[in-house]
Amino acid sequence: MNGQILRETNPPALMNVTSATQHEQIGPSRGLVGAYGFVPTLFALQKQLPRVIEGEQHLIDAILLREDRLSRRLKDSLLLTVATARSSDYCRALHANKRSRDAEEDHPALLAFARKLANYAPCVCKHDIEALRAAGFDDSKILECILIVALGQLLCTLANALGPSLDAELPVLPSIESSRLPEPVEWFETTGPYLQPSPPPDSNFQPCAFFREQFGFVPKIFQEQMLRPDVVEAESKTLAQILIPEDLLSRVEKERIVLLVSAANRNTYFVAVQRQILATFGVQLEDSDQIVEDHRCAAISPAELALLDEVRKLAIWPGSEAQFDTARLQAHGFSEPQILEAIAMAAVTNFLNTLQAGLGAVPDFPPRRVFARKDLYPSVSASRLTSDATFSDDPDATAVARVQDGDTRAFEELVRRHSRRVFSTLAGLLANLEDARDVTQDVFLKAFENIGRFQGRSKFSTWLTSIAINTGTELLRQRRPSESLDQGEEGDEFRPRQIQSWADNPEQVLAASEMKQLVREGVLRLPEKYRIVVLLRDINQVSTEEAAAALELSIPAVKARLLRGRLMLRESLAPHFVRVQKRSPDAQLR
Amino acid sequence: MLSCAEFLAEFGDYLEEVASPEVRARLEEHLHECKTCKVMVDTTRNTIRFVTDCDSFTLTADQVEPIVKDVMSRILDKKS
Repeated sequence: MNGQILRETNPPALMNVTSATQHEQIGPSRGLVGAYGFVPTLFALQKQLPRVIEGEQHLIDAILLREDRLSRRLKDSLLLTVATARSSDYCRALHANKRSRDAEEDHPALLAFARKLANYAPCVCKHDIEALRAAGFDDSKILECILIVALGQLLCTLANALGPSLDAELPVLPSIESSRLPEPVEWFETTGPYLQPSPPPDSNFQPCAFFREQFGFVPKIFQEQMLRPDVVEAESKTLAQILIPEDLLSRVEKERIVLLVSAANRNTYFVAVQRQILATFGVQLEDSDQIVEDHRCAAISPAELALLDEVRKLAIWPGSEAQFDTARLQAHGFSEPQILEAIAMAAVTNFLNTLQAGLGAVPDFPPRRVFARKDLYPSVSASRLTSDATFSDDPDATAVARVQDGDTRAFEELVRRHSRRVFSTLAGLLANLEDARDVTQDVFLKAFENIGRFQGRSKFSTWLTSIAINTGTELLRQRRPSESLDQGEEGDEFRPRQIQSWADNPEQVLAASEMKQLVREGVLRLPEKYRIVVLLRDINQVSTEEAAAALELSIPAVKARLLRGRLMLRESLAPHFVRVQKRSPDAQLR
Repeated sequence: MLSCAEFLAEFGDYLEEVASPEVRARLEEHLHECKTCKVMVDTTRNTIRFVTDCDSFTLTADQVEPIVKDVMSRILDKKS
């Protein structure tokens, strides 16, 4: 296992908070001062969104400050364990002061469990809980430990995204190197829930009313925590502050963040729940499934695609070195509060996913996607785990992995396999066969030079096609700088003018060579943005999803351009095939 | 019954055969009544078939190997 753990490395890219302002009153900070003795920069950076800080503080109050079964010092030791697992220097410093070395020595089993839950949440099973019981921990203590680890993940996620500078109150610790995850631990398929059943809540327990109102049911993840109703109440308040409001991001956007991050974390439970919750908002199950499998091919806007791309970097599993890119989201029109909310939503998702992994809550709905061991280490090459799940159905995966491992000759097979597709894309785009031949070679050279960066987020063929399109488009721009593939929207509605029937066997009207020439000219006459989609879909037989990924367009945009291109082409071919007859009196669009 | 404009709004999904069964039934009901849209469907399907079957933009088998050779020799030249 060679993936690298998330860590924050850079100063904050989002909110500019100076040391003079970071201790300003940021709204509900009393609890934060109670927890830390001051308002940590981690929260001051979110001051534009007080309700989010309040939501986070509900969890800190209930889980960290309220001393129930575990001491505060042991909790800080557990939080330090999570921060170390996530290589978060800021969170390590945040919890180093209050840790208890004595407690750590007294409770090695608890620390080992916390380490496993932080590092390998999908691998936690009931045997781990049984080991804790054997070490003398009752279910109340185990639940509290799970809650603390989940809270630690939430804090690390925030720190990773926001990149807070170290507060003056915190100790300067030697930075730990971004560590490689050790080999995967054993995977046992065990059925939850792991803790003993809790007494059902009173019928007037307010959080249950909240869950029913918002989700239509009380998810089992909350039912499994009824040993601590105060925590369930805090969680409901956190969701009420972060998930429910729609003044910034929409509810669907936030529910999709939960879905995507849960899928990245390989959390069967939350993927099953989220697709059902999204369905209540009118999102088709198939569309949610596409987010789970590969969100880049989902029918969402380019802005939401960028949003999902970025929050996915905040998932716990398998860990990514990629930095959360605030500037990219700002370029897509997201405001700073919206970005903060997205980060908080990813942090809450990591919290909930960790809870579920520790508790073993069973899905409320039959899961369509059950993550198994093979999903934890999906790379085809054991020596390479990318930050993203690989496209497991890619027939080129093995050859790509060999090239990435230094086998240049394996690239020959990829060239042979894909040269027709690359050539036809370029021939249609450039409208010149000689140019297309030359540029085809350039495309493969570029692909070879960059294959180390190919992460398997799409099929190799899609990636190659996008290189071909970018290379061809760049050449066209150099030649005709005024034209652009992305220029303008679809414009006025296209109204077909040729609406007469064609001859019964139109292919027999012209000789094969004439037909070939006619189609070729018709395709080349299409405006570029329609032509390229027709080329990909109808000539190269690329799926709509792959075309969207290669063109970095949404699926609806690809569909719209494809239809327009086909209709324009039909218009140009029609005069050659129209049946000679009197025009039908109703031959007009109503 | 659907208007032609409503039909055209769903035309893309109908051609791709991804319209839901309910929508498809309504579109086919319209097609049964509207000769103009029927012509649109038939001629657009013909167009797609012509484009798909036309090999105007493809390489022949004997054109592929020289490209493979050129690409690999350029890669190996760069490496050496």
